[in-house]
Amino acid sequence: MTHLRCPFCGVRPVEEFSFHKTLPNVAGGPFADTFLRSDDPQDSHEHWQHRLGCRAWLLTRRNPSTGEVLELRLLGGAAS
Amino acid sequence: MSELAPRYSATSLLRARFSRDYWRPLWRRTKPKDAYDVVVVGGGGHGLATAFHLARDHGLKRVSVLERKVIGYGNVGRNTTIVRSNYLLPENFHFYEDSLRRYETLSRDLNYNVMYSSRGVVDLANSDDEMVLYARRGNAMRLGGIDAELLDRAGLRRFMPELNPDLPRRYPIVGGLLQRRGGTVRHDAVAWGYARAAAALGVDIVEECEVTGLVTAGGVATGVETSQGFVRAERVVFAVAGHTGSIGRMLGVPLPVETHLLQAMVTEPVKPLVHTVVSYMYGHAEVYLSQSDRGGLVMGGVLDGYPSYTREPEWHRLEEVVQGAVAMFPQVAGLRILRHWAGTNDQTMDGSPLVGRLKYDNVFLNGGWCYGGFKAIPASGAACATLVATGSAPDLIRGFALERFATGHVLDEKGAGPFPVRQ
Ligand SMILES: Cc1cc2nc3c(=O)[nH]c(=O)nc-3n(C[C@H](O)[C@H](O)[C@H](O)COP(=O)(O)OP(=O)(O)OC[C@H]3O[C@@H](n4cnc5c(N)ncnc54)[C@H](O)[C@@H]3O)c2cc1C
Ligand SMILES: [Zn+2]
Repeated sequence: MTHLRCPFCGVRPVEEFSFHKTLPNVAGGPFADTFLRSDDPQDSHEHWQHRLGCRAWLLTRRNPSTGEVLELRLLGGAAS
Repeated sequence: MSELAPRYSATSLLRARFSRDYWRPLWRRTKPKDAYDVVVVGGGGHGLATAFHLARDHGLKRVSVLERKVIGYGNVGRNTTIVRSNYLLPENFHFYEDSLRRYETLSRDLNYNVMYSSRGVVDLANSDDEMVLYARRGNAMRLGGIDAELLDRAGLRRFMPELNPDLPRRYPIVGGLLQRRGGTVRHDAVAWGYARAAAALGVDIVEECEVTGLVTAGGVATGVETSQGFVRAERVVFAVAGHTGSIGRMLGVPLPVETHLLQAMVTEPVKPLVHTVVSYMYGHAEVYLSQSDRGGLVMGGVLDGYPSYTREPEWHRLEEVVQGAVAMFPQVAGLRILRHWAGTNDQTMDGSPLVGRLKYDNVFLNGGWCYGGFKAIPASGAACATLVATGSAPDLIRGFALERFATGHVLDEKGAGPFPVRQ
């Protein structure tokens, strides 16, 4: 993975962005939300931030086996 | 058996000098048999060491290691070979100390030279505040009976004349925490040494045999489905390191694990320059470095920073590592990098290992080794074998059971919270 497309700034090098966390994907309450993941090698749902850019928070879906970005949008915003 | 390598000794090596067909394979190539007492999934350091101890310490005769690729393909052959026990939490430092002690005698125990080098491990401090943190960690270790020395600048100058701590740097070097018995061990030799010793005790080492499913009946595991067919097993141990997350998925058990990349690199060989293992945090970045016996500088830094199975390292991380190396030793700026690689790590939610039962009474997990499990191999192999053979976990690894995430007894060494990428 070399670049990500920020909805505001366009295609920017990945080192401007920082990964924050993967999103809970197993049922079972707050404990499972916090600690447990079903580790899908093809589909990871994540929060990122364009930290060294516009600082927008982003919601992503990526394929961690290829680095392909399946979906990226503003957290709480519309798909881009 | 006779086609295998004999016991090594001074006389046998002398004989090797004059005989043309002395060097033999270290373990037999074999297909899996129909049934085993224990099937160990994953032929990395942890799987091989577990199999070795099952055979040597518990007398199990029918043990196999099933490896998806070849021995040494995984992280056991990708790490930067550092061994140490300088941890803060007692559960961690007692365990890693047991491992370091085993490393000290491993060459003799395996009859294979693993090249343990007690060259010392130093963490450099950038500020007085960091010195306080190091003092805390060092004191914790000393209270646990482990050697640790807090070095001020003068101490650092004495121990590491090759580093000039007084050089003006953006992140100045004010001191460090030293563990003299820490150092390096040749990683490939650890894999080969355990594989050879296990095979000599009758363990089947099966390469190119991927485990694709666990077969169960009546609430217990009865065997594994593999790319070479079904293999019956009384007990199954998963020691797949960077693939721990996928095993959880295969068994339908969510685990406190994410899969992250760690990269490393080595420069062209140069004359002796750095005699110890040194690590240096500068700002958000980190570099750690040691010099191999061939003369290459082996360097690494922090995780690439997001979940990945690709084994394709990020270029900007390489740049950071190199910047840190040059900040420590300006004279390395002109060196060329020969190789650069990455491995997938099973990063846990609290940064500590996962060893214990997994879903079934006769299925065990030996994983969660994060970016630091090479140093853990000898202790983990011995303790995990005891767990598998006797059914109860020795004290040394009791804290590593998965249940800690349900009871709240997490072992968050760094105090980073449930963020595997920051552990
Ligand atoms: C760049 C880098 C630097 C590191 N530096 C250090 C260091 O300096 N010190 C330290 O202590 N640790 C270090 N580590 C961590 C250390 O290497 C690992 O924690 C440790 O090697 C993991 O255990 P292992 O040796 O058993 O793993 P591996 O060698 O990865 O073994 C796991 C094996 O399981 C196999 N496998 C996976 N799935 C299946 C399946 N379904 N069926 C059959 N087989 C399967 C894999 O092919 C692999 O061979 C580093 C790691 C990396 C990547
Ligand atoms: Zn932006």
